[in-house]
Order: sequence, then C-alpha cells, then structure tokens
Amino acid sequence: MATSPATILRNPRQWLGQLPLAFAVAVVAYAIIDGGYIVTVVGFALIYAVFVAGLNIFMGYAGQTSFGQNAFAAIGGYASAVLTATYGWPPLAGIVAGMAGAVVCALLIGMPTLRLKGHYLAMGTLAIGLIVYEIAVEWQSVTNGYMGISGIPPLGIGSWELESDRAQLIFLAIVTALSLWATWRLRQSRFGRALVALSGSEDAARALGINVGRTKLIAFVISAMFASLAGSLLVHIVGFISPEMIGMNMVILAFTMLYVGGIGTTTGPLIGAVVIGLLPEVFRGLKDYQDLVYGTALILILIYAPGGIASLGRLAPKRRAAR
Amino acid sequence: MLDPVFLAQTILNGLSVGCIYGLIGIGFCVIYNASGIVNFAQGAFVMMGGMITHVLMQQHLPLIPSALLAIIVVALAGVVIERIVVRPLWDRKATMFVMILATLAAQIVIERLTLMLVGDQPKSIAVFTDLPPIKLAGVAIGYQTLWIMGTSLVLIAALGLFFQKTLVGRAMRACAINREAAALQGIVVSRMLAMSFALSAALGAIAGILVTPTQFTAFNVGTPFAISGFIAAIVGGFGRPFGAFLGGLLLGLAQALAVFGLGSGLKNMAALSVLLIFLFLRPSGILGSAK
Amino acid sequence: MSILRVDGLTRRFGGLVANNDITFAIPAHGVSAVIGPNGAGKTTLFNMISGFMEPSEGRVTFDGKIITGVRPEEIAARGLVRTFQLTQLFQNLSVLENVKVGCHVRTRAGVFAALTRPAWARREEAETDAKARALIDLVGLSDQTEQLAGVLPYGQQRLLEIARAMATEPRLMLLDEPAAGLNHDETAQLGTLIRRIAAGGTTVLLIEHDMRLVMKTADHIVVLNFGRKIAEGTPAQIQENEDVVEAYLGGVEMLDA
Repeated sequence: MATSPATILRNPRQWLGQLPLAFAVAVVAYAIIDGGYIVTVVGFALIYAVFVAGLNIFMGYAGQTSFGQNAFAAIGGYASAVLTATYGWPPLAGIVAGMAGAVVCALLIGMPTLRLKGHYLAMGTLAIGLIVYEIAVEWQSVTNGYMGISGIPPLGIGSWELESDRAQLIFLAIVTALSLWATWRLRQSRFGRALVALSGSEDAARALGINVGRTKLIAFVISAMFASLAGSLLVHIVGFISPEMIGMNMVILAFTMLYVGGIGTTTGPLIGAVVIGLLPEVFRGLKDYQDLVYGTALILILIYAPGGIASLGRLAPKRRAAR
Repeated sequence: MLDPVFLAQTILNGLSVGCIYGLIGIGFCVIYNASGIVNFAQGAFVMMGGMITHVLMQQHLPLIPSALLAIIVVALAGVVIERIVVRPLWDRKATMFVMILATLAAQIVIERLTLMLVGDQPKSIAVFTDLPPIKLAGVAIGYQTLWIMGTSLVLIAALGLFFQKTLVGRAMRACAINREAAALQGIVVSRMLAMSFALSAALGAIAGILVTPTQFTAFNVGTPFAISGFIAAIVGGFGRPFGAFLGGLLLGLAQALAVFGLGSGLKNMAALSVLLIFLFLRPSGILGSAK
Repeated sequence: MSILRVDGLTRRFGGLVANNDITFAIPAHGVSAVIGPNGAGKTTLFNMISGFMEPSEGRVTFDGKIITGVRPEEIAARGLVRTFQLTQLFQNLSVLENVKVGCHVRTRAGVFAALTRPAWARREEAETDAKARALIDLVGLSDQTEQLAGVLPYGQQRLLEIARAMATEPRLMLLDEPAAGLNHDETAQLGTLIRRIAAGGTTVLLIEHDMRLVMKTADHIVVLNFGRKIAEGTPAQIQENEDVVEAYLGGVEMLDA
C-alpha cells in the first residue's frame, strides 16, 4: 500500500496542500518578530480564527446552520467588559465566566432551536443573533447602549498584565493554536466521527445508535464556547465593546473566513482568518469598503470555490459534496 | 389607564405597517414557490425602492414617475441578483444553506453600495397626499395610511388575478405544486426563477416606497424589513402568498401593541419574539403549511 | 424461540392502509425474508420495526421486550440495526471511519476523552480500529480502507453499509433490499456474506425483490401483498403457495428467478 504509485503521487500534493497553512503560520511568526503595526491586524485575525474554529465544529463538521454565533461572542465580550471594567475582576475570571454563561445560554437556546430544519433553522438562529444585538443596544444600565463600554484592561494572568502588543500577540497565538488543536482532536475522535456522520445522514446515524439531537446540542455548546472566548479576547485587545462589534457583520465576516479557508477542514479557520484579515492591509484602498469586499468575496467563493483555499492542493475535491 | 382612542390609533398604525410586512412576505413566497429558495436579500429590495424614489425626487422628478422608475429599476436588480448570484449556485446544485448565505451576502453588498452612494443619513419621501389626517371619533387616519392599505388591497387583488388568469401566474403556481411535473409540462422552470425574482423585487420596492414617507429609509433598513416579511410568511404558512399578507397584518398588530404596552425600544424584539414563538410552537403557520 | 415478533401491526396514511394487521415471528437464528410486490408495504414495516415510524396499531417485540415507541437510536443500542433501501453512507468519511461510526453505540469516549485522551480512551480507539478493519476485511473492502465512502462503486457501498451495521454488534440485522442495483456476481457474493453473518450468530431479516437471493439464502419467508400478510413458511412452502404465485402475476417472476 505504502509503495503504490498512487501514494507517491499523492504525497507531493499533500505537501502542496499544506502551503496555505505554512503561509498563515509564517504571517503570524512575522508579526511576532516584527512587532509593528501588523501585530494589531494579525491579532484581530487570530481572534477571529478562534471564533471561526468554533463555527467550523458546528457547521463544517456537523453540517448544521447558525447565523447567530455572534450572540455568544456578545455574551463573552460583555461578560468580560462588565466584570473587568466595572467590577474589577481579573481578565481570566471574566473569560471563564463568559464561557460559562455562553454554555448555559447555548443549552437553553439550542434545545428548542436545533429541532428546526432548513431555512427555519437559518432564520431562527439569525433571530437569536439579532435579539442579542438588540439587548446590547437596549439594556443601557449594563451595556451602556450604542456608546459601549470602554476602559477594559488588557489581557493578563493574575496581577501580571500583558503590557506589550507583542506579548499579547504571543498569547493570542497560543490560544489559537490550542483552539485548533482541540478541534483537531475532536474531529479525530468518536465524537467527531458522529458529527460528520450526522451531517451526512441523520437517519443512518440514528439507525446506528447515535443520539442525533444530543450530539448536535453538544456541538452547538462547544462552538458557543469558542465564540464566547473570541468575544472576550476581542474586547481585551481593543479595550472597548459596542453593539456594532458583535452585529451581523461579524457573522458575514466569519462565514467569509470559513469558506475562504475551507469549511470542514481543521486548519481552514486559521488560513481564512489570516487571508481575509490581511486583505484590507494589502489593498489599502479597500479599507473603506471592507464589508462590500467581504460580501462579494463570499459570493464568488460560494459559487466558484466552495472548498476554499485549504482544498486547492487536493487531488480530488473531497469535501465538496459535504454541504 | 387604557385610552381607547389611543388603542384604536395603535391598531390602525399596526395594520398599516402590517400591510407592508405582508407585501414583503408575499415576495418571499413568490420566490420560494417558484424555486424552493428563501431569498434573504428581500430586504434590499424594500430599501432600494424607497431610496431610489427619494433620489429621483431629489432630481425634481414628480412622485409617480419616480416611483414607477424605482419599481422597474428594483425589478431589474432582482433579475440581476438572480442571474449573477442565484442562478450560478442553482446550476451547481448548491445546498439550501449556501443559497441563504449567498443571498444574505448579496444583501450586505447592496447595503454597502448604497452607503457609498448616498451616505449614512436617513432619507425620506414626502407623503403622497399632503392633507391633514381625517379624524374619525378622535382617531387620526393619515392619508399615507390610506395609500398603504389601498395600494396593498389593489395589489392583492391584482396578484390573485395574476395567479388565476395569466399563463405566467399559473405556471408559477404549477412550479409551486411540483417543480418536476411543471418542467415536464414544458414550463421553463429557470425562466420562472427570473420572473419570480422580478415580481418579488417589484413587490418589495412598492412596499418600500409606500412605507418611506411614514418612517425614513437608510442603507441599513433592509434587514429588519426582511425579517418582518419572513415572519409574515412563516405566520401565514410558508409558501402561501395570501397567508403571508394575513401574517403581516398580525405581526404589525402584535408589534404595535407591544410598543403600546412596553415602549418603543422593544419594537424589533417583539417581532423577533413572534418569530421564535412561531418557529418553536407552530412552524407551519396559522393556516398550516402550503405543502 | 423467536427474536422478533410483530403483532397486529397496522399503519395508515390518511385513508391509505400501508400495513394492515400484520402478525409474524422471526426465528432467533438464521436468515428470514419479507417479500412482496412493489407497494406491498415492506419498507413501511421495516420503518415501524426499527422505530423510524410509529405504528397506528399493534406492537413490535424484540428479544422479549416491547419496542414500539422506542426511538431508533435506543433500538440500535438494544441490538437491532437496519440498513436503508437507498444506501445512506457518510459520504465525507472514509470507509474505515464509516465502520468506526458503527462502533459508536458500543463505545463511550466523549468530548473530554477526545481532548485529554486518557489510557482507556486510547485503548478503546485501538479496539474500535481493529474491529472496524476486521469487518472491512469480512466484506472484502480491505483495499479501500482509506477511500472516501462516496466514491465507492455502488456494489461496494452496499457491502460497506452491511459492515457498518455489523459494527453495532447487532443481534438482529434488517437489510432493506440489499441486492438492489447489484449485478449477478455481486448478488451471489452478497448471499454468501449474509449466510456467513447468520452463521456467526447474527440473525438477518431482509426485504428483497431478488427471488433467487431470497430462495437461496432465507430459511423463513413472510409474504406481504397490499399491506397484508398472505403467506409464511420455508422457501419450498412459499414456492408452492397459490396465493403467493397469484400475487406475483401467475408466478412469472418467481419461476424466472
């Protein structure tokens, strides 16, 4: 088997397939070494990579739909903002509290919502994202409405704050690596197989004894935890949160990254986040038209390259039939 | 205490905006019936209708030609979206989810283009008939309300005739019942797709033109309108155009009463809550699903 | 002693009666078959037995316990597994992973075990791997282990579906038209495989159109027509049964086979 011509032929291709990942890692490494303005850009991309990695579990692996993941980023973001800025909690405690809150909310939201199918599920999750946005706007006493909350301290562990941008970026790189590692381990496991199985055929999965409803719910909760973590990281890096940061544009941006990187692939979220995150930097003129470009890019990718960059190196368009 | 005049006023306003939701909801149904696609860019048509009319009237064009021109332009925009976004995906047998995502992205693109072209300031159109409202037992009935309700009813009647009497309308209904069978009967389903987008966009544009004098329009009003239209369609039992209109009226009413009882900040929340209640408890709508 | 009993099972769809008061018992060992012309209600019957559809009336007893109203995943856990008329493979998983999914119900590693990989979970995964490879070997797909399931030719997809079902360690396996779309040689291979599975201690119940396969492999046959049971017995008894011959258009199909 190992000596068959097919394997030898496939090896360079596989190696080629790792190029996008190598590029993404190189960009992160360059930013850490350079330490200049690019740190902000890459840091933002890494945070989104965490968010997208969670989305990838629920959508890429389990083949479900959620247009409302920004709701959980909002929960994490506002929990961190309020607990650290208003009540003086350490950042780590705020992050953990946010994730716990996201788990509870994901369970409560997921139980009725995940029973929906097709465009009902799409609209139901979209509505949840919009409701949380509305709450962020209207619940003035806690969120300060459109004005948002500022004065959020930078990341730190205990009393030790990550003062420099570079230290923060290293921290973000570690968190992102751990997130991707976690999704990879999940995908390789019994649980991960069940997720991909139910995305292929719910009936067959049930016939083999998989509790489809429960498995979907767990995937939803996990992806909510990732989203919450990303939301918390975002507010600590920016030092500020407002409803606009966690609105619909967050969802569209995340989907663009997911599809550019390759939905259903483990490293796709990082690749997509770095490529899309760099886009406005490479084409300076694009800055004012970011959402326009993202939307257009998303449509083009959906039509012409539904497997994303991560799939380009492959011999066969393996994951295309996925969704 | 509960003021009956104020309550009556609230109900009237709710029904008026409900007509708008209903028209948008019908737009969802028209495309869905022809193709099985839920077009999340529906709100963009509403926004464009009001916005283009505003821009044309800025150029000192009178209302009627401005509105007609706007409706035609938006209908064409519907066909363009169908051609460059929906059709390529349709041909590649894209999944429902990809289609939703692509139309949502199209909505964002249109929003951002509008933002670039006209800026982020809210725009409005003057009311069609600039006369003081009619007072009926203390309730003020604005002429714009009459315009909205009258136009909606005329449109409903016209659509009824269209679906019953015309060849295209019947072909659309045939597609709704069974697309494969319709194709076997010689109906070009893909042409129906383009026509349904044109019709649905025109309906959205009319809704947008009608509602703009009572509120305002801005590049980002599309999404809330799309959501409301979608809720109307769900409440009416997805795929039933006239159910959607009824659903729109109910939604407008529920929203107005929520604002009446709880304050205006909860307008969107009330609509979204109605959506979730229906999704969770009665996804087939009040009349039952069309299929 | 019977492993599966069906008592007065009835299913109506509006005015249509798909299954009408069907009663039979499947012996605890060997291969049984449900046959009948198209539209006789065979798949409806399977759907009710496997928990995918609630019967309007009647009950299903598996292994001495009533399983009517029990959810499909729970029925699978109790040792009754089914395949589908149109193969429902997990297209995005490899052949090996497909069979590993079949092991799901007999293993227990969850999310925490996936992340931390304790010794017991590593052992469990190794056992799953070995078991899956053995089953792939059994159905003769060893050369395709790493292939994506979606690209297999149709005949091999059928075999993979059986291997995957076997991975649940069933006491009873329902096969819904396993020979549909198979050529002559493949059908013969399938027959041998079914006998081997039965010899290994798993009872097999199949729905089948291919009379040759049924007559060769089944020990016990139930015949449905228009939603009713019209006959039951050994292949020899069925071939001589006049109602059955009538149902099959004067026996043309049966003699052909």
